[in-house]
Amino acid sequence: MEIKQVLRTLSEASGVSGYEHNLAATVQASCPWADEIKSDKLGNLIMLKKGTGAEPRPKVMLAGHMDEIGLIITKIEKEGFLRFSTIGGFDQRVLLAQEVVVHGKEPLIGVIGAKPPHIQAPGEQSKAVKMEDLFIDVGFDSEDEAAKAVRVGDLVTLKRDVVDLQGSFMAGKSFDDRAGVAAILECFKTLAGMSHTADVYGVATVQEEVGLRGAVTSAYGIVPDLGIAIDVGFGDSPGLPESDTIKLGKGPGIAIGPHVHPKVHERMIETAKEWNIGYSLDPSPHPGGTDTYAIQVARAGAATILLSIPLRYMHTPIETISYDDVKQTGRLMALFIAGLDHEFVEGLTCF
Amino acid sequence: MKTVIKQLTEAFGPSGYETEVTELIKTMVEEHVDEIRTDVLGNLIAVKKGAEDGKTIMFAAHTDEIGLVVTHIDDKGFLRFSNVGGVGIATLVGNRVRFANGTVGVIYQEKDPWKELTLDKLYIDIGAESKEEALEKVKVGEFGIFHREFEDLGNRLIAKAMDDRVGCAVLIEALKRVKNPKNTLCFVFTTQEEVGLRGARTAAYGIEPDLGIALDVTLTGDMPEARRMDVSLGKGAAIKVKDSSLIAHPRVKELLVNIAEEKQIPYQMEVLEFGGTDAGAIHLTKAGIPSGTISIPTRYIHSPSEMVDIRDVEACINLVAALADRDLGDI
Repeated sequence: MEIKQVLRTLSEASGVSGYEHNLAATVQASCPWADEIKSDKLGNLIMLKKGTGAEPRPKVMLAGHMDEIGLIITKIEKEGFLRFSTIGGFDQRVLLAQEVVVHGKEPLIGVIGAKPPHIQAPGEQSKAVKMEDLFIDVGFDSEDEAAKAVRVGDLVTLKRDVVDLQGSFMAGKSFDDRAGVAAILECFKTLAGMSHTADVYGVATVQEEVGLRGAVTSAYGIVPDLGIAIDVGFGDSPGLPESDTIKLGKGPGIAIGPHVHPKVHERMIETAKEWNIGYSLDPSPHPGGTDTYAIQVARAGAATILLSIPLRYMHTPIETISYDDVKQTGRLMALFIAGLDHEFVEGLTCF
Repeated sequence: MKTVIKQLTEAFGPSGYETEVTELIKTMVEEHVDEIRTDVLGNLIAVKKGAEDGKTIMFAAHTDEIGLVVTHIDDKGFLRFSNVGGVGIATLVGNRVRFANGTVGVIYQEKDPWKELTLDKLYIDIGAESKEEALEKVKVGEFGIFHREFEDLGNRLIAKAMDDRVGCAVLIEALKRVKNPKNTLCFVFTTQEEVGLRGARTAAYGIEPDLGIALDVTLTGDMPEARRMDVSLGKGAAIKVKDSSLIAHPRVKELLVNIAEEKQIPYQMEVLEFGGTDAGAIHLTKAGIPSGTISIPTRYIHSPSEMVDIRDVEACINLVAALADRDLGDI
């Protein structure tokens, strides 16, 4: 499958944090290059591609989170409308007037309703509607009818198909961080035609959006020597300072900061230069925000780095990326991994 | 049952100083279990052995309660203090505090009481007339708790520290009822939950169970003009879907729902937007442990008068007992 189609399939699938099991099957079906695939107890999908080096081989863990932010039903109103809260950091300003899928006994289409502008009080339009005042309308006409199909605690995802924009740009939901998962698949595909020393564990992690939880347990289980997290970074757009963003279409951001091992950073930059892969430097001073940190501090610690795929409009239903950036991220990782040997990995333990 | 809840809630046990509570629980449970031990952090671990083909379930209820710690004693014998866990400042003024040696004091605020409450304007008056007299009773660094008695209102009970002694009571009663269980049951009476799930973290690492279940209190939305929350007192055990610390494992959640349906145990689904329980620490232990939470609906959490309904407590006991004996398959 071409990268574009992989991205489309992953983006349009559903998998809110903690409920990634169906999505894991989709990822697995997109990965014919692994020697072994298994799921751990929290649902992380672990795809192993064995290296050819002498044992014990270095272990490289790639982490891209497959969970998406979503909504959860908190109450069924007497009239059959559904109240909800969020899982992960949704921007509540963009929820109004969205189409959603309520994952009840059967998936149901619903809409998030709003008060018509004609009857709003003066000044109301200039304020964002609070989430507690929003509701989902599935078309039920009573609480009893709703309760037969939906339960408090059922999950809700946005209903959103991917659209192709100009050039390599695409917009859709959940590219945070299905684009990272797609980059891992691209890396595996590229590695299939190469020889590499290290064992490569590609992990589609769970529950990143609620606190890096899947990366905590999968890193404990794998015990990697080197960890690469692939997540999305703030793409350039009007109103955002250049210093806080990375440009779409110019390749991945290579992070630098306290959760990035300097020698890994240096080697990643060298690899990009050697193979003429575009990249941006991505200063990342706050280590808590991605799976990188969870891998770095698991057990006795691992050398880690973060690659950021530029993405505009994060945590909205129209997250925008360039599929070429995803492809280049996968290629960069594959070339980096192919260049690893025992000596370099052992050298990482001497900071 | 009410007697057990009264004894547990009136005991002294701020986070880090839970020994009075764990000792009390030990006397209640030791004749009913196969093994009993404590670990380095003070967790009390009571084990009932199961069948050879059973799994290991860790049940956790925390023994600690929120409290206060003395930070300074002034020349006139008044105490300044800080909080231990999430103490609601609004519940403090005019309330009484008790220290481990039985010393009781009243909490009050400088100048205008109840106006612009901040912790640094509050003080404790233990009736001392001088610093020397105060020092005979209390020292800097000593932990205190709310001084408050248990009350039986019929179906509804109020006490301090229902959070989470009522969870402890559920486990104590369940472990007495379960005979020759299918699964090996580790009933862990944890420490330091209120300051960051600390006891459960180390206990789970030591036990490495196949399944983790926390028993803890949860908020309700059934009071006047309450924040929206679809849990009510008296409507049964609350089966957690999520809170800030945990998204209950879907299979664990469904297992609890199925058991409740089969055994006709009243239950309600719980979506908690804030807060966490020991299951938050358990599920991230080592390479991951499927976990869930059974919650006891409770009004006025973290105040000196937390209210539960004895019928919900009974539902939670039945759910724990049924789970203990369940074939867990490939959980």
